[in-house]
Amino acid sequence: MNAVATPQTEIPVDAETQRRIEQFLYREARLLDNERWDDWLALLAEDIHYWMPTMENRRRYDKKGAYQIDGGALYNDNLLDLTRRITRFKQPSAWAEDPATRHAHVVSGIEVYQGEQPGEFVVHSSFVNYRSRVEKDNDLLVGRREDVIRAVGESFQIAKRKILITQSVFMSKNLNTFL
Amino acid sequence: MSEHNTSLPERLKRRPVAEAIARLDRMMDLDKGRMSRDIFWDRDIYEQELEKIFARCWLFVGHESQILKSGDFVSTYMGEDNVIIVRQKDGAIRGFLNTCPHRGNKVTFADLGNARQFVCNYHGWAFGIDGALKGMHASEAYEATGMDKNEHSLHPVAQIESYKGLMFATLDPNAPSLAEYLGDFRYYLDAIFDMDEGGTEFVGGCVKSVIQCNWKYASENFVGDILHAGWTHDSGAHAMVGGSVAEVHKLPDQSYQVNFNGHGWEFNQDIVGNCATLGDKDLMKYLYVLQPKVAERLGEVRSKMIGAISSCTLFPNTSFLPGQNTFRTWHPRGPDKIELHTWTFVNKNAPQEIKDKWRKGTMMTFSPSGVFEMDDGENWEYSTKTNAGFVTRQQDLYLGLGQNTRITDTDLPCNVFRGQVNEANQRAFYQRWLDLMKAQEWQDVPQRDVPTLPTTSTKEAA
Repeated sequence: MNAVATPQTEIPVDAETQRRIEQFLYREARLLDNERWDDWLALLAEDIHYWMPTMENRRRYDKKGAYQIDGGALYNDNLLDLTRRITRFKQPSAWAEDPATRHAHVVSGIEVYQGEQPGEFVVHSSFVNYRSRVEKDNDLLVGRREDVIRAVGESFQIAKRKILITQSVFMSKNLNTFL
Repeated sequence: MSEHNTSLPERLKRRPVAEAIARLDRMMDLDKGRMSRDIFWDRDIYEQELEKIFARCWLFVGHESQILKSGDFVSTYMGEDNVIIVRQKDGAIRGFLNTCPHRGNKVTFADLGNARQFVCNYHGWAFGIDGALKGMHASEAYEATGMDKNEHSLHPVAQIESYKGLMFATLDPNAPSLAEYLGDFRYYLDAIFDMDEGGTEFVGGCVKSVIQCNWKYASENFVGDILHAGWTHDSGAHAMVGGSVAEVHKLPDQSYQVNFNGHGWEFNQDIVGNCATLGDKDLMKYLYVLQPKVAERLGEVRSKMIGAISSCTLFPNTSFLPGQNTFRTWHPRGPDKIELHTWTFVNKNAPQEIKDKWRKGTMMTFSPSGVFEMDDGENWEYSTKTNAGFVTRQQDLYLGLGQNTRITDTDLPCNVFRGQVNEANQRAFYQRWLDLMKAQEWQDVPQRDVPTLPTTSTKEAA
């Protein structure tokens, strides 16, 4: 994952903040596992940018890199876009969701640093996502996330998320979850 | 015939064309709307498709806007053959098999980029962007034993041409011209790819994914299956516009299916019906403002197609959706798998924010995470996989919708049918498939559709 932007300086946070943000992300993963879509939406900031670019194979000398902000994407969403996707999930006519998918969102390697704004944190994590549906539709995605997480009252909100997966040709017929 | 490759040596000698599979004629009775499932499952049929469809037809290989400068290239597929399409120093476009003639390794692993040469990783054979072998690691050893570099170029595609920015190539030197291949279907292509004087371009890169389905299920869906939208895509429509898909089957007098040489387009005359599903009023406004200008340019009927409820497939495996602006090729990967490559097309002269909104719209609707595509892949996979059943695959399928809807008293070109909720285009698609699968060479392919537009060359028009 050589393409992940690294903040200029990585200033660690205290152990308690680290622990609370870890708990926040673990809880988020559980909400997604259980398709608690509205509870998941409540974790997102109103100005969220939720971005999952697709990967291009370019030579190392090619300055454009593996992905670009105006390139291909599986998510390049604001809150309205994410809400629309969830509206589909909740329709009785969402045929590809019924019977339901069984999800496992595994989050690991959580690093928390101070963000550019007070009360914001840059949070790196890696993930494994495994989905199973009907008899033997099994889809595996592995990757890395870079979040901006904002302290709001006693809890947090996700203000930015960048998701980088390892695949360039997406090996599944759909992506019916969030990462 | 391409003028490029006549001087190159024939190191790739095509095997004699395989005899047509004997039972083909029994596999479909299109007048009765009956079709065998074997064509979606049988491995022998698939191998002959690679030969008689994909190594023979004109296939979409890219948009000219992807390779503007000398050395710009994209890597794509013609069937399962990996090819490089590269812009030459003189502005011409050429295509080559992406394989080194020495030991067969790929000469580029990049999806796209700019190259001065393509160098094989194995023994360092280096090819110019014109395909010529320029040199290699330890070249003295070859020279000492009398090898002639001129005999070992990259193998060119047989013909390559553009139509309104869309690049097509064929691996068959005896294929008819692109103009003949597209025929009168170009009349409708202009409604999208020539609606605006600047033409179109691709934006936002290429999104690639795998669907475990037969390629024909995808192609035939876009050739003329608006019928499925009202049912399959009910959930996506609720997400994007807060209601159900328009009930187009109730208004057959406002819409059509047209086809020519197996290419097919089903369309309404509602200007913005497809575009509306992107849930962005600015895009609809852009089309409404453009429509009177398109009417001046191309006439009333085509101006009302620019973003209407519609879909199109260019035989065999390239499709697009006006208004939603997704453009896609369904590359075959065996009888039960495809690799889907998708792009976003926009009018080159559109404002940047309009282009950005379309790029986002295709992602929201017709990508692996898109609220419409998610339910398509599911259908096509299980329409394919059920045929693993030995008895199951002996049950014929039905495609008889819209018999007797042909319209003959019309000024519209191509074969025209009343009502877009129809299976006339699917029947024409499979008829073309059958004609090609039975033919030993191009001249054996029946000319069912007689062109009225000039077919000498597409080059002046492009």
